[in-house]
Amino acid sequence: MKKFKYDINKYNPKKMMAVPASLFAVAAVIVIITFIMTGLPVTPGIDFAGGTAVTIYTDDSKEELEAYFEGYDLKSIDEGISGGYYLKFGPMSNEEMMAFNDYILEGYPDAGIDQIGANFGATLQAQAFLALLLAFLGTAVVVFIAFRKILPALTVVFAGVADITITAACMNIFGIELSLATTAALLMLIGYSVDSNILLTTKVLKRQGNLEEKMEGAFHTGFIMTSTTFCAILAMFIVSLIGNVPTLYTISAVLLIGLICDLIFTWGFNAGMLKLYISKGVRR
Amino acid sequence: MKKQPVQKREKKEYHGVAALIRDPQVIIAAILIIAALVAIFAPVGDREGITNLQFGLDLEGGSWIQLEFQADVVTVQTPVDINAVAKSMSNTLDCTVIPIDLGKVEIDKKFTEAELKSAVEKAGAVFIGSEPGVGEDTADSVKRILESKVNSLGTSDVKVNVLTNLNGVAQYVRVELAGVDMQEAQEIVGKQGLFEIRVQSVGDSTEHVLYGDSVVSVQTPMMDPATGVWGVGFTLDDAGALALQKACIETGATKNPASHPINMYLDSEMVYSAPLSYELALSISKHPVNQLSASTGVGDEGKKQAQELEVHLRAGALPVEVEIAGSGSTSAALGDYFKIICVIAGIAALAAVALTVYLRYRVAAIVLPMVLINVAEVVILLGIAVFIQQLDLAAIAALIAVLGTGIDQLVIITDEVMHEGRVPSKVLYLKRLKRALLIIMTSAATVIIAMFPLIIMDLSTLKGFAIINILGILIGVLITRPAYGRIVMEILSKKN
Repeated sequence: MKKFKYDINKYNPKKMMAVPASLFAVAAVIVIITFIMTGLPVTPGIDFAGGTAVTIYTDDSKEELEAYFEGYDLKSIDEGISGGYYLKFGPMSNEEMMAFNDYILEGYPDAGIDQIGANFGATLQAQAFLALLLAFLGTAVVVFIAFRKILPALTVVFAGVADITITAACMNIFGIELSLATTAALLMLIGYSVDSNILLTTKVLKRQGNLEEKMEGAFHTGFIMTSTTFCAILAMFIVSLIGNVPTLYTISAVLLIGLICDLIFTWGFNAGMLKLYISKGVRR
Repeated sequence: MKKQPVQKREKKEYHGVAALIRDPQVIIAAILIIAALVAIFAPVGDREGITNLQFGLDLEGGSWIQLEFQADVVTVQTPVDINAVAKSMSNTLDCTVIPIDLGKVEIDKKFTEAELKSAVEKAGAVFIGSEPGVGEDTADSVKRILESKVNSLGTSDVKVNVLTNLNGVAQYVRVELAGVDMQEAQEIVGKQGLFEIRVQSVGDSTEHVLYGDSVVSVQTPMMDPATGVWGVGFTLDDAGALALQKACIETGATKNPASHPINMYLDSEMVYSAPLSYELALSISKHPVNQLSASTGVGDEGKKQAQELEVHLRAGALPVEVEIAGSGSTSAALGDYFKIICVIAGIAALAAVALTVYLRYRVAAIVLPMVLINVAEVVILLGIAVFIQQLDLAAIAALIAVLGTGIDQLVIITDEVMHEGRVPSKVLYLKRLKRALLIIMTSAATVIIAMFPLIIMDLSTLKGFAIINILGILIGVLITRPAYGRIVMEILSKKN
C-alpha cells in the first residue's frame, strides 16, 4: 500500500472529475443497451427471469453432466474450482418440475435445486426495483438533512447513483447476473458509497483549517477505511470462489467492484467538486 | 472466541484506570458480549450442533415451496351493499366471490381484467382495480391448513409464511421444511386426507354417509351474532345431501337426534361429533339439505375449534387453487459444506482485516483492541440473531460485510482522535470522539435507510441480509464503537 501514491491536492479539480465522469458515461451507455435488450439494467438470472438452477458437487465431468441432462432445457454449466457445478435450466411447468426434481435426485441425491416461476420472477423484479428506488430516496433525504447544502448533497447522491451504474455495467461485462443476492449487494453499495462521501464532505465543509490538509486527512482515513472493507470482502470472495458458493461470491464480487468505483468517485469526482465549490464560495 | 471479554478486561487493568471499568458504555458492551456468548452457547433444549444459532434452509438442508394463489382481489366503488355486488359477481363469473371489506371482493379464480371489470359493472358498481392474491381471512385459512398438513408429519421444523403486500393482499405463501427433500416436500404440501361423515346407528356402531368428495365447498368460520356460537358452513352436492337424508332417517337420527350424533372423520380419526339440531332434524326428515353448518362453541375456544374443523372439512385441500411459483432445496450434506465455507470465509475476512489495520497502524495497542472490538460486534450480533433471525448464506454475506464496515468506522474514530499523531487532552479527545461518532451516525443512518425497504418487502432471503446488516450497524454505532473510543483513549493516554 505504501507504493500507492495519490496526491489529492496535486490535480486540477476539473481533471479529477473528468475520469470518473467519463467512466460513468460509458457505464450508462452499457446499462442502457442492456436495458433495451433484456428489460433490466443487468442481465437477469433465474431469480428475476424464472428458471431452474441446480448446484451439484460431483467427480463427474462436465460432459457426463451434459449427457445426464440431455433432453432438458440446459442453458449453461458453470464449473467451480473444487469440483462443484452450477447448472441453469429454462422455465418449466409444475409437473415438469416435479418430474425433473425426481430425476436430479435420483442421479445426484445431494444436489441443491432452486426453481423460480416466470410470474414470481416478475413480482420479485418489481419489488426489487421498488426497494432500490426507496433506498435512493431515503438516502437522499438523510444526506440533505445532514448537509443542508444543495450542491454537496447532490454530489453525494450522484456519487451513489454513479457507483451503482458503473457496478451494474461491470456486472454485464463480467457476466454476473442480477439476482436477489446481487440486488442486495447493489443496495448495500448505496450505503458504502455514501459512507466515504460523507466522511469527505463533513471533514471538508464542517471543519476549520487549511483545505489541502483537510483533503489530505480525509483521503488518508477514507482510503484505509475502504481498503479494510475491501480486504474483508476480498477474503470472502476468494474463499467462496474456491468453494464454489454462488450466493457468496456474486455478492462479494459486486461489493468489490462497487468499492473500487467508490474510491474513484469519492476521491476523484466528489473531491474535485468540493474544491470547485469551496473556491467559488471564497471568491464570492 | 470465548476469550475476548477476558482479554479486554486484562487490558483495562494494565493501562487502564478504574475509570474504564466504571464507564457505562464499556460496561454495557461487556455485559452484552457475555450475554451474547450465553445466548449462543448455553445448552438449552434439544439442539443440533454446539450453538443455539438458527440456520436457514441453505445452510441447514431442507426445502421451500412458494405457492401463488390463483385468485384476484378486486377493488370497487359501490352505491349498493358490497354483499350484493359479491353475489352478482359470483353468478356472472360462476365462482366463489367473498366480500373482504367495504370496497373489496375476493374472486377465487383467475380472470382477465376485462372480465372482472364487466362483472363489476354488471353488479352495478365501479371497477377501481384488481390485483392477484387473496384477502386476509383466506390467507389465514390457507396458512392453518398447510400448517396442519405439515405438522401431521411430526418432527420436522416447519415455517409457513403468507407474504402480504402493503394493501393487505396476499399473493404468495411460502412453506419451509427443514431437513425434508424436495420430493417429500411436494408430497406433503400436495397431500390430501380422506374425510368421511358417519352417523351413529345402534349403540356404538356407526354407518357410512359420505366421503369428502361430496363436500363441494367450505366456508371460513363464522360466529352467529345472535347466540355467539362459532361454526363452519359447508355445502354438500345433491348425492351427498340425499345420502345424508337417507342415513338420518334410517338410523332414526331425525326422530331422536341426541342418541344418533353425526360424526366426522379425517383419515379414520374422529374430528367432530354433534347431534342434528332440532330444526335440521325436522327439515331433513322432509327433504335433502345441501347447506349445513357445524357449530362448535362460544368464545375463543369455539373459534379455535371452528378453525380446526374447517381444516378437517377441507381434508387438506386449499380454499383457492395454487400454483408452485418457486421452490428450492438444499441437501443436508450441501448445507454442511456451505457452513464450513462460511466459517472459513469469516475467519479469512477477520484475518484480512487484522492484517490491513496492522499495516496501517503497526501498533499492537491499537490494532489488538480494534480487532477484538470487531469480533465483539460479530459476537453480539450473533447473540441477538439467536432470537430473531435465522442465518442463511445471504445473512452470512451481510455478517462479513459488517465486519468490514465495522473496522472502517473504528478507523474513522482512531484517525479522528489521534489527529496529527498526538493524543490530545481528555476534553479535546472527547470532543473529537463525539465528532467522529457524528460522521459514523450519519453514514449508519444512510445504510439503514438503504436496507430498510428489503425488510418491509419480505423478498425472501434478502430480509435476513438486511436485518443482519442493520443490526450490525446499530450494535456498532450504539454500543461497541463508543466503547472502543473510551478504551483507545485509556490506552493512548497511558502510552504518552
